[in-house]
Amino acid sequence: MAIKSFRSLVVRFVGCGAFLAASAVWAEPPSVAAPTAPPAATAPASPAPSADFKSLDGEVQGLKKEVLDLNRDLFVLEEELLFPANTQVAVFLSLDVGTFFGVDAVQIKLDNKEVANYLYTDREVEALNRGGVHRVYIGNLRTGKHELVAFFTGSGPHERDYKRGANLTFEKGVGAKYVELKISDRASAHQPEFKIKEWE
Amino acid sequence: MRVVIRKLACAIALVVTASTVIAATPHAQSPGALAPVKIQDLYYGDVLFYFYQEDYFSALTRLSAAQLKNRLPHHADDADLLLGGLYLSVGQHREAGQIFSEVLNRKNVPAAVRDRARFFLGKVWYQRGYFEKAAATLAETGKAGLTPEMDAERHMLLAQTFMFLGKYPEAIQSLENWKGPPTWQAYAQFNLGVALVRSGRLDEGTRLLNQVGLLQRSSRELDALQDKANLAHGYALLQANRPTEARAVLERVRLQGPLSTKALLGVGWAESALGDYKEALAPWLELHGRNLLDSAVQESYLAVPYAYAKLGANRQAADAYESAIKEFAAETTRLNESITAIRGGGLIDTIVKNESKSQLGWYWQLSALPDAPESRYLFHLLAHNEFQEGLKNYRMMRYMERNLDGWAASVDAFGDMLATRRERYSGKLPEVLARLRGVDVEELQRRRTEFESRIATAEATGDRATLGTPREREIWAQVEQMESVLASAGNDADLDDAREKVRLIKGVTYWQMDDGFKARAWAARKNLREVAQALRETEKRWSLVQEAKTAVPDRNGEFGERIATLGPRIEATRDRLTTLEGAQARYLADIAIGELESQKERIGTYMLQARYSLATIYDRAADEQQKGAVPVAPATPPDQQK
Repeated sequence: MAIKSFRSLVVRFVGCGAFLAASAVWAEPPSVAAPTAPPAATAPASPAPSADFKSLDGEVQGLKKEVLDLNRDLFVLEEELLFPANTQVAVFLSLDVGTFFGVDAVQIKLDNKEVANYLYTDREVEALNRGGVHRVYIGNLRTGKHELVAFFTGSGPHERDYKRGANLTFEKGVGAKYVELKISDRASAHQPEFKIKEWE
Repeated sequence: MRVVIRKLACAIALVVTASTVIAATPHAQSPGALAPVKIQDLYYGDVLFYFYQEDYFSALTRLSAAQLKNRLPHHADDADLLLGGLYLSVGQHREAGQIFSEVLNRKNVPAAVRDRARFFLGKVWYQRGYFEKAAATLAETGKAGLTPEMDAERHMLLAQTFMFLGKYPEAIQSLENWKGPPTWQAYAQFNLGVALVRSGRLDEGTRLLNQVGLLQRSSRELDALQDKANLAHGYALLQANRPTEARAVLERVRLQGPLSTKALLGVGWAESALGDYKEALAPWLELHGRNLLDSAVQESYLAVPYAYAKLGANRQAADAYESAIKEFAAETTRLNESITAIRGGGLIDTIVKNESKSQLGWYWQLSALPDAPESRYLFHLLAHNEFQEGLKNYRMMRYMERNLDGWAASVDAFGDMLATRRERYSGKLPEVLARLRGVDVEELQRRRTEFESRIATAEATGDRATLGTPREREIWAQVEQMESVLASAGNDADLDDAREKVRLIKGVTYWQMDDGFKARAWAARKNLREVAQALRETEKRWSLVQEAKTAVPDRNGEFGERIATLGPRIEATRDRLTTLEGAQARYLADIAIGELESQKERIGTYMLQARYSLATIYDRAADEQQKGAVPVAPATPPDQQK
């Protein structure tokens, strides 16, 4: 009797618990972000969530959205309050290609006064290499002529320590002023190139 | 799911950058790396800077702020898709879905953008479990805006969606004859195999599963897929009562892999089905040393005595049942302790406590287990999708609460700053106005015009003295005066010498003035331009000051109102966060307890089975004893022994 009973248990396992019957076994496709790289560990797609979960999740999502909106409003208020548009000046740094120069740090002087000295992490350099643009400095300036000097430190061609400077004299008008520090490659000379560009 | 969302976020990066790719990339890029983006709006690059660092919260804040301030005119479509992707990254599926739908509803949306929006919207529906909508959206998605990998993923998601809906013929139809990138092909083959088996086409299905199971091992990912294929294949054969083939297939599953316990159990059943109970014992006994939380391990505790009984070894069978009962009882006690601990609260805080300083992300994984009795069950719970999603919600809310704590302090500082600014303004304004009252801009302007007119006249008439130095003008005036005196004296010859001297002085002075006239005229014009510039600047500042007299108080007032509104908004939101965190924690605890209760229930059923089987053995032994045979088991059942 016991054996018969256990056999029924076996049948149940093979029948109902059979691997094929479990929806979770379906293979998740690999990543589209890294097509040739080995896909990460597969995670089973989930069946439809329960009503309780949906209800609470809906409430949480609603609140999270409110927090995100609030965060945006605070972020905008902070910028408008601290750096009003008529005096605002922002300095951005971008990398274009960057074969001949790996940026480690950048120092910015405005009218001979150091206003920023930023040391980049590997993660940040990777973000710059992928097209990100870093706002290194935001501050306030009076209208009129100003001089910006930027010093770039890093590794140049052949992994040598490399330090270069670039400067720009610009006119600060009534509106916000954006300046971009561009590090690019001058392929013909196998050297990096450092430019400062004014944006309207 | 976590992996999928992470990949989706990364994929969106690929998508949003695809339309702004720079054609020439002189250096070789690693496979799968994103192409550089030609940034046309600096603030779009600023968002990407945080996005690429997987700091999705900052990226989202900056993107929505940049959109609010119209700072992304050149990346409007990409920015929308990125915003949708970022919402997904922080678990806001609803907003993400809305954004992708809005993109689709726009007129004149380029086909590429439309396809990408459909693709991501389909993924959102799939992830949220709305399979009908997912199937419709994914089926509608064209190829124009998708990379081959994205198209492959779309194809696979569509097939999986059909499988979730039980529409196996549609799943089979979408996967059959499909050619995709090699890695995707293996997944497609596996899913097609499963779909075929489940729709009753066993031979066709197992043939495909066999192919996947025999793939050359090349990565951990494919190893795992192979194990899945071999396990699915083996159990399909067991179900079809083909144990010999099933055993061979199940033996291919890696012994150290996560599916090894189920494979070992299956191998035992295959041996058992072939009547070879001795051989069945080997894999089942191997399971005894493994984690009792695994259902295959739990079943092995019943399978082993079952095999002993079939072999006629009733004493060993009885011992094994007793051992199973002890193990089950001990596990039940541990489960009870864990349930009590979870009911006491603190489980969720314990889990996230160690992670509070780490970077926020929707793809967070538990890196260290808390030191608590219930810890051994957590890995099992983390495999539970609702638990995982709920935990992420809880963690995100905690992060948001900390974020708002920081803002609350900042808003206080903003208030103080504004008060100082108002005070400074009201103190400084009278002084500035007094100073400005002493400046007559119109009079200055008039004098500048007059001077300009004098220069023009001098240039036209050749009046060199106008631009002479003060000394030259003085000499020139004296010469003119002397000439006048001499003229009034008539033709007196005694004055000829004086006349000659005056003529000489006049000539020298004129020569000196004429010599520097052009340079002086140029310098005078330059000075005039500078004066004009300075006067324009003065006028502008004058009007700015006039404007500021009303604008500054207005702006300060507006800031004051915003600060006054935001403070209470922060407080109210923090309160709601606290409330919902509590609800989320209770929900997670309920899931955990429910999971542990179901484990307890299953173990209880097994324990009952073991006791029943043990009692049967005792009964049989007693019967045989009565008939004069040698007893095979103790007279007293083990659970009644002291």
